[in-house]
Amino acid sequence: MEKNRTLKRLQEIVGAPNVLWKDVDLAVFEYDAGLNKEIPGFVVFTRTAEEVAQVVKFLHREGISYVARGSGTNLSGGTIPLNRGVVIELSRMNRILEIDVLNERAIIEPGVYNLTLQNTLAPLGYYYAPDPASQKVSTLGGNFGENAGGPHCLKYGVTSNHILGAEFVWPNGEMGWVGGKSLDAPGPDLLGLLVGSEGTLGIATKIMVRILRSPERVLTLLAIFSSLEDAGKTVSDIIGEGILPATLEIMDNLVIRAVEESVHAGYPTDAEAVLIIELDGLSDGMDEQAEKILEICRRNGVISTRRAKDAGERAELWAGRRGAFGAVARLRPSYLVCDGTVPRTRLPEALSAVKQVAQKYKLPIGNVFHAGDGNLHPLILFDDRNAEEMERVHQAGMEILKICADLDGTISGEHGIGTEKLKGMPLVFRGADLEMMRSLKAAIDPKGVCNPGKVIPQA
Amino acid sequence: MTPDTDLPSSLPDESGNASPGVWGLQSLGVEVQQVEKPAGEREAREILTRAFQGRRTVFPCGGGTSLSTGMLPQRVDLALDTTGMDKVVNFDPLNLNLEVSAGMTLDQINGFLAGQEKRFFLPLDPPWSSRATIGGAYAANSSGPMRLRYGALRDLVLGVRGVDSRGREIAFGGKTVKNVSGYDLTKFLIGSAGSLCLVTSVTIRVYPWPDASSLCDLVFGTLEELEKFLAALRSSVLLPSAVVVTDLAGGPGVSDSAGIRFRVMIGFEGHALAVERQKRDLLKLAGEFGGLGGARTGRDMMLDGIRSAVTPVSGWRDPLFLKISVPVVQGPRTFVALRRLIHDHGLLGKTTLDGANGVMWLYAEAVHEKTALNLVKDLLNLVPAGQGYVAPILAHRNLLQSWGARVETSLHQLAFQPLKERIDPTGVFPPIL
Repeated sequence: MEKNRTLKRLQEIVGAPNVLWKDVDLAVFEYDAGLNKEIPGFVVFTRTAEEVAQVVKFLHREGISYVARGSGTNLSGGTIPLNRGVVIELSRMNRILEIDVLNERAIIEPGVYNLTLQNTLAPLGYYYAPDPASQKVSTLGGNFGENAGGPHCLKYGVTSNHILGAEFVWPNGEMGWVGGKSLDAPGPDLLGLLVGSEGTLGIATKIMVRILRSPERVLTLLAIFSSLEDAGKTVSDIIGEGILPATLEIMDNLVIRAVEESVHAGYPTDAEAVLIIELDGLSDGMDEQAEKILEICRRNGVISTRRAKDAGERAELWAGRRGAFGAVARLRPSYLVCDGTVPRTRLPEALSAVKQVAQKYKLPIGNVFHAGDGNLHPLILFDDRNAEEMERVHQAGMEILKICADLDGTISGEHGIGTEKLKGMPLVFRGADLEMMRSLKAAIDPKGVCNPGKVIPQA
Repeated sequence: MTPDTDLPSSLPDESGNASPGVWGLQSLGVEVQQVEKPAGEREAREILTRAFQGRRTVFPCGGGTSLSTGMLPQRVDLALDTTGMDKVVNFDPLNLNLEVSAGMTLDQINGFLAGQEKRFFLPLDPPWSSRATIGGAYAANSSGPMRLRYGALRDLVLGVRGVDSRGREIAFGGKTVKNVSGYDLTKFLIGSAGSLCLVTSVTIRVYPWPDASSLCDLVFGTLEELEKFLAALRSSVLLPSAVVVTDLAGGPGVSDSAGIRFRVMIGFEGHALAVERQKRDLLKLAGEFGGLGGARTGRDMMLDGIRSAVTPVSGWRDPLFLKISVPVVQGPRTFVALRRLIHDHGLLGKTTLDGANGVMWLYAEAVHEKTALNLVKDLLNLVPAGQGYVAPILAHRNLLQSWGARVETSLHQLAFQPLKERIDPTGVFPPIL
């Protein structure tokens, strides 16, 4: 279809001011938090589910590809529009539509920030468990598409475990609900498939989440170690003891120093590793559990420990962890976040192998990770203006994915495959597995217009 | 529903029947031509490869406790009995996961975990855990009341291995809790009722044996008191593992809520201090709403209490076993309405409410076809589409034929049917919902 006619029709649906078409405007949407860039054909800002459905129906009919986008915080190129596809921008659909405390459910639009929902629920004594580090800016629609994780997923599970329903616009523009307030919809777990499908099977226009009663007490500990291995061993020992904290997060020295320069969280800059441990739940028995944890830390050679005395101190300890990605950006112009996951007892092996990758490719690699669930985040620092260095970064990234796959893990724990990890998919799936995924995509999106070129490598 | 054929009229004991699932399939009106019972994945692959090449239809079945969650065809060429695949494939206690073959029952799994030096458990407690296999629970999306604390089956499963319709090995997920590599087929295949593949093994999360466990056993005299108590419990900071509601009317259903006294069993687990405090607080809370009762300590006591509430006590004679799901607030009133319907239709039956999740199980036996159909019609009026689900777990094929669409037509057309056609093009496995 001729470009001008496409523009005209899109403007008819959402209004002329809500369609971007000039190259200078489009350039803002050519990248996300990953490495790849592709300029879109148009950017369409939708305000209602019906507008999304109309836009999708039109694009589907014309065979024009499209991708839904929220804040673009995803780290795998999932929201990059390939082949000059249309970006459907959902950030203006940002209303919290219902908070049903009695049924412990909330319904929100996809453009609501994760933290906005948390802040709305907190005064009611409730919270939403998944808390990606990007929660200040990442939208719940994006969290849905990527099946976002976060520090508290160790105890409470990832986004998929907390989504109960969604109003969904299918790739052909038809719209309907999947799931809802009642549990156990008959048939295959379609919602489980859609969450984390990276916007390749349709677009969620309303999302129903489970909300949880805020815990009676939260206790946050910081443990300082002289080696990353000791910190990792402590994590395994805590879980092995039968204690399930809300979070177990580790940062290595490179990240600690970056964080201190940026956020001043109070971490000792000569430490090789800091471990943040958080317990939540009932007050009764919590001090005893904390004492048990401290004993495990001592057994593993902890240098010192700190206990947050109040909410302010807790926020300070967390500010460092949440600001870690931003802080390392001060060290080099760019970074690549790897996201492999291994069974937690294999963390020491994985970390040691990542160190060797850093030496082999002569690249600085920092580590900040969700240790409790074995989710590594090696941050490879580089200068994207240096083509030769970029090549080494890609090779190092792929090698880290292979390390995780070889250790009984997987290539992405929470950031998704997007375009950046497509080549890694054969490391964890065989031919028949990938073929079944392709069959799913082809069945739901036979024209291949809905965020094509992501998640599954071509046959 | 009384079948026309000369089928056994009661459940054979576990030692007396090598294939309870196959027997169940036949008793629900499915004509079975041949039975195969593979001992492992390789054998299963060979069977399915032959079936694909010979264009034969295959129906996978395990303990036969949820055979009607999917579609029951009139005839299958081959019933594939998975109960021969009953091995622990891999146990990783430090990473708290376990891979088991599909035919292992939930009780066998928990027996294995409890027998370890440092004890563990799998918090999956659907009805008939002594016969329900992990593969069957996965295929039928079966969970029990402990989903309140530990999550449902979909929250516990980390990975799945199976065989596709062409006889090829497939595997999704793995051993890690976080995993977003590719489409989440591990979740999607849950509830697919054998219509898309044969499940050969499942990797699941397991938990360390808790320090302490306790079961509070309460009685409430009116529906209003029960509702207020459950609402207060939900908004409290207490963290029960399970909340189950049965009634003390006994025998036939009662005609109105005034005749019911409600028995509420609430399990607590965890640190001994936390369990003790919760038990105390709960009894106090119950007292504020007219609840009377006490608490018993011990893990077996707690698990047995919950298990006995969700599992039908009787045998298996022309069974009708349904799952009804509504928003949690509507649970108690729907539960009372179910009791009334059982009474109105003159049935013997048992109903149980998972009081924290809005899920109910209704079991009746010796149900005639017409009665079953009328009951289902009334249930579908009570819980109309969009406000909850009424789903068969065990029901005769004739009833399923008259049931109508069990998933929304648009979902069937947009997703399920096209998926089925691509994944199982020759129709080796039973039809999809």
